[in-house]
Amino acid sequence: MIEIGSDAPDFSLVDQFGRKITLSQFRGQKHVLLLFYPLDFTPT
Amino acid sequence: MHANFGSSLGGISYPMLADFHPKGAMADSMGVYKADRGMTDRATVIVDAKGVVRHASSTGKRDMEALAAICEEIDQAHEDLPALTRPAGLAAGATVYVRDRCAASRAVALARTNLHLEDQLTVKNVSQNPAFLAELKELSGAETAPVLWIAGEVVAESSQIVGHLADRCSAL
Repeated sequence: MIEIGSDAPDFSLVDQFGRKITLSQFRGQKHVLLLFYPLDFTPT
Repeated sequence: MHANFGSSLGGISYPMLADFHPKGAMADSMGVYKADRGMTDRATVIVDAKGVVRHASSTGKRDMEALAAICEEIDQAHEDLPALTRPAGLAAGATVYVRDRCAASRAVALARTNLHLEDQLTVKNVSQNPAFLAELKELSGAETAPVLWIAGEVVAESSQIVGHLADRCSAL
């Protein structure tokens, strides 16, 4: 598990609308909540 | 896949990210990928607007009230962020022409559900109504669907349509 207080590694992934979402695009704009779950169509 | 899953949950407008290739790489970078099982843990990570990790936990069923309280606490500590803006939304009379047995039309329908546009975006199925097909041909010069008709303009190609809808209707 990543350490609290550490710098989060940047990433770029595609969302369900085909948009490339990069963590650093939110810098200075918004906090980011990342909800990880194992599989689609299972409890999130 | 994510669009279908989001739709099955009643529509998910916030980003659902595909950590597919390399498999689990993003999750692994956050320390939440279970390589022995080949899947991501059910976990929560919060990154503040300065890019610093403020919360990281492995969880069973999520306690959303507790999570909301944590988010509020993090937000209170940052008073210099720009105010949230509402998405522009769609122009009045926005209509999408779709057809049956069409994956591209299905993709547009899923985006409509995920963005909760049922009241803003009219759907006209050209496979089921010849009048709609005639309308489509008059507006776009062709019978190809899906087509988005918005503010007097034609947007064709499902990826362009979905992108257009997300840009104007997502709070991201």
